[in-house]
Amino acid sequence: MSVQPDPESDRAREGSSDATPGGLPEFRRPGELAFAVFLALASAGLLFSAHDIAGFRALSSPGAIPMATTAAMLVTALLVLWKTARQPKTGDETLRIAVFPASVIAMAVLLIGYALLLKPLGFLPTSALFLFIAIKLLSGRSIVFTGVVTLASVIGIWLIFRIVFTVLMPAGIVPEAEIIQIFRDLFNGGA
Amino acid sequence: MSALMDFLTVFTQPQLLLLVGLGTFAGVYVGAIPGLSVTMAVSILISFTFAWDVYPAISLMIGIYMGGVYGGSRTAILLNIPGAPSAIATALDGYPMAQKGEAGTAIGVTTVMSFFGGFIGILVLAAAAPAVSGFALRFQPRDYMLLAVLGILLVGSLSSGSLLKGIFAGAFGIAIGSVGMDPLTFTPRFTFDQPMLRGGINFIAVMIGMFGVSEVLLQLHHVNTPAVRQKISRIVPSFGTIKRYLPLSLQTSFIGVIIGALPGTGGDIAALMSYDHAKRITKNPETPFGEGAMEGLVAPESANNAAVGGAFIPMMTLGIPGDAVTAIMIGALFIHGLNPGPMLMIDHPDMFWFIVGALVTANFFMLIFGLTGIRLFVKIVEIPRAVLIPLIMLLSIVGAYAVNNSITDVYWMLGFGVFGYFMRLYGYPLGPVILGVILSRLLDDNWRRAIISEREDLGRFFSGIFHSPLSTVLLLAVVLIFVSQTPLWRLIRRRKA
Repeated sequence: MSVQPDPESDRAREGSSDATPGGLPEFRRPGELAFAVFLALASAGLLFSAHDIAGFRALSSPGAIPMATTAAMLVTALLVLWKTARQPKTGDETLRIAVFPASVIAMAVLLIGYALLLKPLGFLPTSALFLFIAIKLLSGRSIVFTGVVTLASVIGIWLIFRIVFTVLMPAGIVPEAEIIQIFRDLFNGGA
Repeated sequence: MSALMDFLTVFTQPQLLLLVGLGTFAGVYVGAIPGLSVTMAVSILISFTFAWDVYPAISLMIGIYMGGVYGGSRTAILLNIPGAPSAIATALDGYPMAQKGEAGTAIGVTTVMSFFGGFIGILVLAAAAPAVSGFALRFQPRDYMLLAVLGILLVGSLSSGSLLKGIFAGAFGIAIGSVGMDPLTFTPRFTFDQPMLRGGINFIAVMIGMFGVSEVLLQLHHVNTPAVRQKISRIVPSFGTIKRYLPLSLQTSFIGVIIGALPGTGGDIAALMSYDHAKRITKNPETPFGEGAMEGLVAPESANNAAVGGAFIPMMTLGIPGDAVTAIMIGALFIHGLNPGPMLMIDHPDMFWFIVGALVTANFFMLIFGLTGIRLFVKIVEIPRAVLIPLIMLLSIVGAYAVNNSITDVYWMLGFGVFGYFMRLYGYPLGPVILGVILSRLLDDNWRRAIISEREDLGRFFSGIFHSPLSTVLLLAVVLIFVSQTPLWRLIRRRKA
């Protein structure tokens, strides 16, 4: 039977900053072993790929540093794997609560949706949709509150990036250039 | 006399004064907003200031640079997202302070110490530019390589977690930095025949993902926890506080200016080395390092702003950029028909003294803007997480996209964000990954130069190190930092105690 982790101890497990990176030094968290296996396999794959760059041709070859770093990755990943495998499991955590809580899954789905819709729909409608659903889901506040916050945020971000920094976000279905031109004409007195 | 007049140019021309002020104000917020980098802002500025006269263009860029280096600390303290790599060390103690509701104190101390650091950096730039650049000229490629290794090991040693995980993270960062076409031989590295990998992986996308997205995903665990109310009753630190930390600020400012003067190493390494220095010399901190130690804020913030002055030394005297922003500034000077390097000091001494004057002005503006408007700024952390989290996520996406107007960078950012999330859950530090990515090129290029100059002979390479006092000191530092993190060392120390 799993026990709901205490929120304070859970926070410490995630680390308060990079100086205290989280994790539990003496215990194995859910999914930690699988992550360690993944890192070891990925490091081995990268070492293989680094060897393909120039083999052992010369110490100054373009593959020398990549081989040295991926070898260091593989060695440390294997040692971490060995250490992790020997550690006892934490008794108070489950994969669903400690690693994949519903809010994280929901955000991941929203992000995938955002990435897929950004080009065809454009920045403004996709961002508005993303913010609206995310804020509504996470806060549970009224549609009016969510709508106002969404609108103000999207307009603010768009003004900073599009107008001040002239970053061209995908326009999609919104005729951005035409809208900006209308405002320009308005301020130039239609000239 | 002429030098003094050139130095005072900014102060005597209201338009230039206004541009430095505007630049600094914008820089503070550019540095603070996740996803907006000073490098990006300065590079975009070039595109619409190249038609301007050189003085106004440089005034605006210097303002943004000085303000941005400082501004990076704001989000490091409030959100644990360093606005710039130079603020990575600031997050180590700044964020724990904000979590305790002491964001106002943290920002106040950070601002004053950044001002001191910035001032020391400018003073050294003005007084000792030729001497320091002469010292940097003596650096051999192997010294740069050792310096890069030292930087990555240092950031690994800052972590209280596992040494193995720290080394893995640093090596992983270097591997990411190697992706793409090798600039010397044009050989593909880790491209897997994918055209999108040929140009490499943008480090800003990696940084936003690792620090921004991973933090957002972790914050989702506590989405219903009410935000910590920040105590902002006192922002300007007391004279006693300043007096107490001034010696540390001075020491770390000098570390910052020297590191900043070394080409390729900027405020990021300066801040990390200074943090490490503070950690070693502070025997009994009031609050332990990593949990909100004031020394952990004073050291990196003095150093990274001191590094700004330092970064201009090789740029102005050798034509070698001290960091990414000064690299862009070299481009700006070229556009305006100036040729940074030894001849610039002879042909256009006015430009040197003008830049020194603009830096001093920007430093004063930074102090003013840093100590005002904080109340409004800290309100950000009091916004409910349910609203803040999606907003930060959106800013991160836009920021990653803005670097190259590329959707691929957004995918990279999201990918590294998810990876960073797992790394944090399982105790892998993220700082070494970022530093590895940034220093990868420096390490690779200089290793290859060094080993070619020793005719591919490892024996000659090591004997070369021991024949140079500078290389020997750097190697000893690398070995010491490594050994001091091993369990064997801890055992010896425990037995001694």
